[in-house]
Amino acid sequence: MEQSPVNAAQSEAAMAAPLEFEIQDLRFEYDRVPALNGLSLRVREGERISLLGANGSGKSTLLRLMDGLYFAQAGTLRFRGEPLTEDALEDEAFALRFRRQVGLVFQNPDVQLFNPTVFDEVAFGPLQLGWSRQEILDRVMSTLQWIGAEHLKDRAPYRLSGGEKKRVAIASVVVLDPDVLLLDEPTAALDPRSQSQVIELLESWNDGRKTVITATHQLEALSEISGRAVVLRQGRVVADAAPEAVLADTELLEAANLVHVHRHEHGGVAHKHVSPYLRHEHHK
Amino acid sequence: MHIPDGYLSPSTCAVLYAASAPCWITALRRTRRRLLARSLPQLALFAAFSFVIMMFNLPLPGGTTGHAVGVGIAAIVLGPWSSLLAISLALTIQALFFGDGGITTLGANCFNMAIAGSFAAWVLYRLISLGAAPESRRRVLAAALAGYGAINFSALLAAIEFGVQPMLFHDAAGAPLYAPYPLHVAIPAMMAGHLTVAGAAEAVMSAGLFGYLRRNEPVLVGLSAPPAESARPLRAPLWGVLALAMLLTPLGILAGGTAWGEWSAADFSDSSARTQMVAASGHMAAPSAAPTGLAHLTNLWTAPMPDYAPRFVKSAAFGYLLSAIFGVGLICAVVWVIFWIAGRFGAGDDGVPVASSTGRRLRAGVVSRTLRGFSRALERTLVQEDTARARGLLQAVDPRVKLIGLLGLVVTAALSHRLAVLAGLLALGVALAVASRLSLLRLVTRVWLVAFSFTALIAAPALFLTPGAPLAHFAGLTITANGAHSALLLLARVEAAVTLGTLLVLTTPWMHLLKALRTLFVPVEVIALLAMTHRYVVLLVETSNAMFESRQSRMVGRLSPRQERRLMIETGGVLMSKTLALGNEVFLAMRARGFRGEVRLIEEFRLRPSDAVAGVGFAAAIVLALSAGR
Repeated sequence: MEQSPVNAAQSEAAMAAPLEFEIQDLRFEYDRVPALNGLSLRVREGERISLLGANGSGKSTLLRLMDGLYFAQAGTLRFRGEPLTEDALEDEAFALRFRRQVGLVFQNPDVQLFNPTVFDEVAFGPLQLGWSRQEILDRVMSTLQWIGAEHLKDRAPYRLSGGEKKRVAIASVVVLDPDVLLLDEPTAALDPRSQSQVIELLESWNDGRKTVITATHQLEALSEISGRAVVLRQGRVVADAAPEAVLADTELLEAANLVHVHRHEHGGVAHKHVSPYLRHEHHK
Repeated sequence: MHIPDGYLSPSTCAVLYAASAPCWITALRRTRRRLLARSLPQLALFAAFSFVIMMFNLPLPGGTTGHAVGVGIAAIVLGPWSSLLAISLALTIQALFFGDGGITTLGANCFNMAIAGSFAAWVLYRLISLGAAPESRRRVLAAALAGYGAINFSALLAAIEFGVQPMLFHDAAGAPLYAPYPLHVAIPAMMAGHLTVAGAAEAVMSAGLFGYLRRNEPVLVGLSAPPAESARPLRAPLWGVLALAMLLTPLGILAGGTAWGEWSAADFSDSSARTQMVAASGHMAAPSAAPTGLAHLTNLWTAPMPDYAPRFVKSAAFGYLLSAIFGVGLICAVVWVIFWIAGRFGAGDDGVPVASSTGRRLRAGVVSRTLRGFSRALERTLVQEDTARARGLLQAVDPRVKLIGLLGLVVTAALSHRLAVLAGLLALGVALAVASRLSLLRLVTRVWLVAFSFTALIAAPALFLTPGAPLAHFAGLTITANGAHSALLLLARVEAAVTLGTLLVLTTPWMHLLKALRTLFVPVEVIALLAMTHRYVVLLVETSNAMFESRQSRMVGRLSPRQERRLMIETGGVLMSKTLALGNEVFLAMRARGFRGEVRLIEEFRLRPSDAVAGVGFAAAIVLALSAGR
């Protein structure tokens, strides 16, 4: 594995926490198109990690592998010391435990919402895991309350607004109270208000013991949502550091296609701006 | 070519269920390992695709409907075993929700279209494309011929099943109890539509979609990585052949022993032959019957050109075809008028996807119009569960009791040979519908009219064609007593079975129905597939609708039929890849939340005293009808 340009910055406490995921030299391809090229990563309990990278850098693929939905062609992926393989998930007891402990919120809420009503949607996971009726009713209602969507409970999910859909999708996973939450672009395609609602929601859920891994290419809320930023490029980790350090490294961000460089001239002087935003202020 | 309830005798149905069962079991065994982990979305997609394709149907002379099946492309992509599962699922959902194809005849329909069709298509494709390069045009030709061959093979099987009915099953007076036409009428009538229209549609669709998928999803058609199934030795069709032999042997033996029903127009016009035949049958009450309706009918066609009429014009098959074509026109007109009236008075809240019912408007963009009609009707039928959640009699009954009870009544209707009993069953169905607060108008437009339009088509010529004592004269034709009896029996049986079957779906939420099936030992994979297919159908129609609208918004003027056909094939291809991608994602999202194929509901099924009463009620009705119906 190539050397990270920025050294991993992890607190003493995090170093001491037990390992959640241990990923070694993972390789995965779709129809012969490589998505992960020998990726290695360690995630400890309670960490809040941002996975950064441009479209196609392997973020979503990695999350799906970590959620036991895809299985790598080479390399190992362990969850709490146990290898996460297709065969392991065939085992009912292991599968139930794993699905209870790790939740994934998909990028496209339309994919995640497939039940006739919002209530059924949120109850789907608990039902699959065989909870008791009363427990399901209580948990679903309190989760709906938490996202402020009790009044939507009998509505069809596909008729909701974009922001509502996203919150229901998050509720449908968080209802299981997983230890590890994987989020694939949770704020993509949302208006600014819905974005901050979603971020606040996730903040309020995390009590500091949860592990949260968020794939994103939006740099604005980076330090709010994470204590560690992992930058992916072409299916590999190219940086692993504190968010502030990653944000300061313009060269790295440019190489990872996370910012665009705007070159222009005025007064005969050529200079450039670097920004993650399409519109940005030029001369302060 | 969906055979409705009541067209085939219960014993034929049983034989075909028995022939299909080993194929289903083998198919499930072969696909089981990968199904819940991986291939479920793909299989469900083809099931949904086939479902949608089969709804583009037109009534055909010969007994049923003509439409493409989608079995050609399904068999090429999925292999024969998964394909037969996919098409069987599509047929099951159609039978349950739309009464399109019966419940007792589901085994027969699956055998013809899903099982025989899949193997025929797969074998044809493999044979013709043997050794062809991945980019070879021969593969496209192979796909076209696979589709064409498969659908015609299916149609032939259906025609044979129809054709043996009058030979084997008739009452003491010789009136056929089930489908009334013998082989030499049923086969040409059925094949005429399938060798031409439906066969061509299937061939074009197979080739078009194959070409599209080869360009855009080569893995799917097995041209960039070896498909999972093709690696296996060609032992696969063995079971199919075995099942076919099983099916044909008893029928062949029975058919060999009797000549009844093998009449022809020539026999009837020759009086000595007629007397002979009538005497030989030994059942006819009035052997000296006046010239039969059949002869009259044939004369009618030959009258304008008595000397020049070619021989085939005098055949019963031709006479049947012509009268059936008149019938189609007449029924289309009736249905159109009823819909027009319903629409006039704002009552047409239930757009039934009968392609032929929209009359002339059809010409203005068949595809887009039909699609829009579909999505409306489908959404009402498949998504809106208003009637199932309403407070009514059947809604309060435990789904398991209801499932067994209503299916029992459908089978009872198929077994009944008496008009009074069938009328009683129909009345019971209506009474249950009223007690369950179902809209009778909805029942009329969605169930009775559709069933009537197909059945009347079959039954009408039987009025004249069935030999027997004359009952009445009508426009120079003779209606025979036997003919009237056969026609009414068929009509009453179909309406009773369809009404009772529809009650089940209209009063039970879909997931409850699935769970009830599950508690009755239907394998978890089948349930998961049914659920997924159901979801896909809605997705497919929604996506296709959106695609059409976005295309149309970018187009000016009207398309030529040729352009519209091309657009349709291309849209089909894009739709398939799109839906498959989306469906794969949905499936992953379900698995991410712990889905392992089992249907789980918050509501526990609990048998209450009232369910016991309902169960006893169903049992009493079944026993009563069975003892009186023979």
